[in-house]
Amino acid sequence: MSWARWGVLGLTLAVLAALPLLLPSYRTAFLLLTFMYVTLASSWNIIAGYTGYVSFGHAAFFGLGAYTAALLIIRLGVHWLAAAFAGAFVAALLALPLGFVLLRLRGPYFAIAMLGLAAALEVVANTWVTLTRGGSGLNLPPALSLVQVYFAMGLAMVAVVAVSYRIITSRYGLRLVAIREDEQAAEAMGINTTVHKVSAFVISAFFPGLVGGFYAWHLSYIDPNSVFRPILSIGMVIMTMFGGIGTVSGPILGGVLLSLVSEVFWARLPELHRGVFGALIIIVILLLPGGIISLLKSRGMLPQNWRV
Amino acid sequence: MDFQTLLQLTVGGLLLGAVYALAAAGLNLIFGVMRVVNFAHGDLMMLGAYTTFWLYQLWGINPVVGLFAAMPLLFALGWVLQRFLVNRLVGQPPLMSLIMLWGVSLIIINAGLLAWTSNVRSVPYFSGGIDLAGISISRSRGAAFLMATVLSVAVWLFLQRTRWGKAIRATAQSAEMALVCGINVDRVRLLTFGLAAAMAGAAGNLLITILAISPGVGPTFLLKAFAIIVIGGLGSFQGAFIGALVVGVLESFSSFTISAQAADAVVYFALILFLLVRPGGLMGARE
Repeated sequence: MSWARWGVLGLTLAVLAALPLLLPSYRTAFLLLTFMYVTLASSWNIIAGYTGYVSFGHAAFFGLGAYTAALLIIRLGVHWLAAAFAGAFVAALLALPLGFVLLRLRGPYFAIAMLGLAAALEVVANTWVTLTRGGSGLNLPPALSLVQVYFAMGLAMVAVVAVSYRIITSRYGLRLVAIREDEQAAEAMGINTTVHKVSAFVISAFFPGLVGGFYAWHLSYIDPNSVFRPILSIGMVIMTMFGGIGTVSGPILGGVLLSLVSEVFWARLPELHRGVFGALIIIVILLLPGGIISLLKSRGMLPQNWRV
Repeated sequence: MDFQTLLQLTVGGLLLGAVYALAAAGLNLIFGVMRVVNFAHGDLMMLGAYTTFWLYQLWGINPVVGLFAAMPLLFALGWVLQRFLVNRLVGQPPLMSLIMLWGVSLIIINAGLLAWTSNVRSVPYFSGGIDLAGISISRSRGAAFLMATVLSVAVWLFLQRTRWGKAIRATAQSAEMALVCGINVDRVRLLTFGLAAAMAGAAGNLLITILAISPGVGPTFLLKAFAIIVIGGLGSFQGAFIGALVVGVLESFSSFTISAQAADAVVYFALILFLLVRPGGLMGARE
């Protein structure tokens, strides 16, 4: 990257770091959730956008992280940061064997198998009452400092975006893209597709697990419906596709824009939440499958060879 | 578990399975003809169920008569979906239409919740049971089973014996060859989606006489229907019936031994297991 870009990046981060000092806590909480959505969309993008394996159930990892962290905090009194990292590792650990088996499936089969997995985990969280207290949910001690969670979410976002950037500008990322474009050809060229797919899947499960833990701490209460809900999985799909799937900046753009829209629009009309998501998905798929990034490219506002 | 219970659960599961089979066969038909997985299939089932419910609730119309309202209505909706949305994505990677139909599903669910709230509804038209060689069969399940079987046979005859049925089968084998032979492929696709939606509507109509259904039920039904065609074999019409019987029995046993809610999870795990171990299904050819 050029010095100018580093400068812009540094300035942006400095402003984001200073914002919680200036903003009322309501706005800080909004920004914190925006960071979470960008993190989720960017993680999803690593397996779906780069590698071409579209998952319809990434909320599974978010929920798993949230439950792991919440249980560690409540039962063992673990510090919330450590608990969230434990949640991330549990999500990644589950993704490892799961990746080996599920990533043998392609296209719609993988997507729907993941949907089934998230739905099954929600049922498990609902029925394993002795561990999770079922539908009545788990109460955590209240998080006293909003700013701490703000920085945790913000750093998670910076980390996943950095990882995304690092991947797509590396040979490893090129191999993932090769798998997306033609898996057999990639295999024939000597790429170990299994290792690449599974590692991308593990990375894309780690961060949702991490912010799942932060989210549980932030809200001080979770139940199966709130952390495994399909709308979270849909959110990752629509934010990434709206911004531009397969790019670094797409999920950021989509995550920020949709968070803003939801803040302005859905706060007043929460009952239209799903319908608006649905309409957006249809419009993006039919009219703008490359998302806003491709629109900017075709209008000449971004260079044609823009890859990040 | 004694033999009597075993038999009872099996029969109950088989009866339910026949209704699932009708819906799954529709999903399979769309996939076979267009390589499109209809993510909104479960929501079309919900619409069929609610059509029946409101006809019964408002005017006391018998659900069997309601069937003849639900099917044409859903046929028309399927036609419209195909004409304006799905048609644009046929021939593209199946993920595109899958994601787009997820959007359709969300809109239907949202509209359903707005119009009818999230309450569960049912049509308790047939009550009581009949005793058959020591096994009690609930009237509603028996009636649903009979109707589902009649409809499935009718669809099968339509596909095997009529010119349009032949055109559908030809398009499923090769759209290009069908086109060359003078078949109006676009119209065949419209008919296919309409027919499959009508089958989903019929299954919804029958299910609401057995189960309590809320507007958000679609994805659950979809996962079950998808499990059925994966177990039975994608693209195989008969396979859907075998898959449906497996899922029906699996569900009836696991809701008896664990809980009704856990039964759903068991079906999802069976779906994932089958995808991995035998992706061609029990009846399907290897792709």
